Amino acid sequence: MSLLSVAGVTKRFGGVTANRDISFEVAPGELVGIIGPNGSGKSTLFEIISGFYRADTGLVRLDGSPLTGLSPDRVCRLGVARTFQKLRPFAGLTVVDNVMVGALTRTHDVRHARARARELLDRVGLGEKADAHARTLSTGQRKRLELARALATEPRVLLLDEVTGGVDQRSIPGLVQLVRDLHRGGLTLLVIEHNMRVITAVAQRIVALYLGEKIADGAPDVVTRDPRVVDAYLGQAYTQ
Amino acid sequence: MRGPWPAVAFFAAAALAPLVVRDAFLLDGLVLILLWGTTGAAWNLAGGYAGQVSLGHAAFFGLGAYAAAILGTRWGISPWIGLLVGAALATAFGFILGFLSNRLRGPYFGLATIALSQVLLIVASRWRAFTSGSEGIPVSFRPGFWTLGIVDKRVWVYVILVLAAVLYVVQLYLERSRRGYQLAAVREDEDAALSLGVPARRLKVAAIAVSAALTAVCGTLWTQYVGFVDPLYVFSVDLSVRFCLFAILGGIGTPLGPFVGAALITILETSLRARFGGIGAGLVGIYLIIYGTALIVTMRVAPQGLLPWVGALLRRRPDPRPTG
Amino acid sequence: MHAIPQLLASTLLLGGIYALIAVGLTLIFGVMRVVNFAHGEFLMLGMYLAFWSFTLLGLDPYVTLVLGLPVIFGGGWLSYRLVMQPVIHASHNVQIFTTVGLSIALQAIALVLWSADAQFVRTSYYAVVVRFGGVAMNLAQIAAFVVAVLFTTGLFAFMRWSYAGKIMRATAQDRHAASLMGIDTGRVFALTWAVGITCVGAAGVLLAPIYPVYPSIGLQFVLIAYVAVVLGGLGDMVGAVIASLVVAFVEVVGSYQIGTAWKEVLYLLLFIAILVIRPAGLFGQRGAEVIGT
Repeated sequence: MSLLSVAGVTKRFGGVTANRDISFEVAPGELVGIIGPNGSGKSTLFEIISGFYRADTGLVRLDGSPLTGLSPDRVCRLGVARTFQKLRPFAGLTVVDNVMVGALTRTHDVRHARARARELLDRVGLGEKADAHARTLSTGQRKRLELARALATEPRVLLLDEVTGGVDQRSIPGLVQLVRDLHRGGLTLLVIEHNMRVITAVAQRIVALYLGEKIADGAPDVVTRDPRVVDAYLGQAYTQ
Repeated sequence: MRGPWPAVAFFAAAALAPLVVRDAFLLDGLVLILLWGTTGAAWNLAGGYAGQVSLGHAAFFGLGAYAAAILGTRWGISPWIGLLVGAALATAFGFILGFLSNRLRGPYFGLATIALSQVLLIVASRWRAFTSGSEGIPVSFRPGFWTLGIVDKRVWVYVILVLAAVLYVVQLYLERSRRGYQLAAVREDEDAALSLGVPARRLKVAAIAVSAALTAVCGTLWTQYVGFVDPLYVFSVDLSVRFCLFAILGGIGTPLGPFVGAALITILETSLRARFGGIGAGLVGIYLIIYGTALIVTMRVAPQGLLPWVGALLRRRPDPRPTG
Repeated sequence: MHAIPQLLASTLLLGGIYALIAVGLTLIFGVMRVVNFAHGEFLMLGMYLAFWSFTLLGLDPYVTLVLGLPVIFGGGWLSYRLVMQPVIHASHNVQIFTTVGLSIALQAIALVLWSADAQFVRTSYYAVVVRFGGVAMNLAQIAAFVVAVLFTTGLFAFMRWSYAGKIMRATAQDRHAASLMGIDTGRVFALTWAVGITCVGAAGVLLAPIYPVYPSIGLQFVLIAYVAVVLGGLGDMVGAVIASLVVAFVEVVGSYQIGTAWKEVLYLLLFIAILVIRPAGLFGQRGAEVIGT
């Protein structure tokens, strides 16, 4: 029984088909990676799952109940959280306030939310920065903030959009470990990632998209050797 | 300017003043400061806390003013009832505006609010049969609390002070409460807020509707105090901008800001009037030049308003909660 | 019905002027993404320019237009440098209040300097009516229309074929990319603003012989212009012209059917209706008004 199911999702923007008949399942506790070149429809898929775009056809379901057509805030309250590729911290608020916004979706008590927020910040390694203004954070720190914020909503499925994008090399292992720890803690994750080393290290399964279509779906070592994936995205040198 | 002490000082001073001051002119100034401050605070709920900048709040003010005036002069109904009717009408229009705020961002929403207030202005000034047209309505004065026929300005101070205190507390609630955090998130980045489960649309509509209702209440009280409703004033864009001005000058998104802004402006106006005597078009023009320039300069130098700016200067740290 | 040719003629004449006002407004929005709340005040200043030139110097408004164009352009440029430039990268709210502040200040300066009394530019030909095929038209209106059309056409030509025009269009499409290509977006904004103000200032000069001149006349025209701009799609110049004709038509027919007192309500309700039903306007890009870009 899958936790998140995407079935036949299609989305057109004028003449461009961003997603064409995309279908796959994510089992509870799985970490599934989504790869593909720019323009393959990965972000569009995330926007549809999280409720920001409405799919033209197809269904997205969480544990059997339909998510398609629901507003993004309802999708979140039902248990799907996400991060954004272009980071969107609440710049005018402090770090802990940022995370509290997420926590307040699950609790009405402000003090309880604050405690929970500080806990989460400690967990992602931002504990010391809790009272700083969000705009003073570095990119890597903002990524962690985004993560903590999304986690505060106690999601059943977390959509991570390019969590290592724009982050300096030294910080990547730390972030990767964080994602691994979350996964080990039982969280179901759907991860868009460009960095092949990262995704093959953490993903149990990879879904490859190209020009809006799904071209592969399987274990990392299988998908990365798939000739269509190599052709479209990886290039011959990768498989050598 | 953190902490409750400035606010406590302000309200305490306002509460004590009528016991000490006898001069009608000064008391009048105090009533106006409190009234305009309250109206600015009501605007602040939508414009500052929810980030929905309305340039047409006079629509609600005018509804409150007219509801009480018409019910009072036509059917002899108490202005307190008129107040409730005005608030109800304003809430209905507030919902319309809230609906629009979810379809339009920033400046387009501002344009829509201007259009709405202008429609009401034209209707009020042309519908002679119902509203006495552009001549306006002189409010019938019947002494007594139930009819809000109050001569003693000291009593007016206390009546408005209650409303002012309510509005201060409501704003404070918006800062500290769960809904407050959610609203702050919405005004910072609505999509990010949505992704975290914040019901952004509903919150914006609610903020605007409450803001509308409270603005209408201010309109009713003002009409009873001044004794006259003029449609060309009470629904005007100039008046709408005044409401914004109080919060912007004093501190948008801070609970005391609108009162500080209202105090500054009222003191300026009354002192100019006292010096030059009487209100000629030239005098009105001078205030307006000052307000226009103040807006431009404030946006350039201290977009959050005076209180946060002074607070930042005192602490030498960046402004805490921008709403822009 | 012989009212129809008259209605159409009136629509055309009125629409031509509205188009000139709207085109400047939509240009400023298209390139700078600024909603200029002070646009009506520049119209008002144009009207006063015509009035004072006529009263003090005896200049016909059409002469004022030619001689005054550099003055209007210069005024536009100056207002950009002094008022808009410091906030051009600030948030929408800051920009809204800056132009609102400018609007108030300009109106108030006019009020203090020239009082609220309505003034009139009574040129020798102001009452001349031309009759043609059952249609009666005021000569001043025809002249204003012709000049407005010439002006608007000139503007389109400028935008399409001149180098400056191309740079403005590029900045409108993607200001970030434009600056990466070496375009000085600061200068482009100043130019765009000045051009937009020149259009509306010129419209003011043209309107002076037809309407009474007083400090708060800007509001009614700017609201009409905004209806046209939104209907035509913000930033779309052709759309603004077409929409101006539509708005003029609604106003003319409205006046005819329900009288002048209520016609303003008509186009205001039209405005709100557009904002509710299709905020992108007839030709605009759907969703742009929600994203705010």
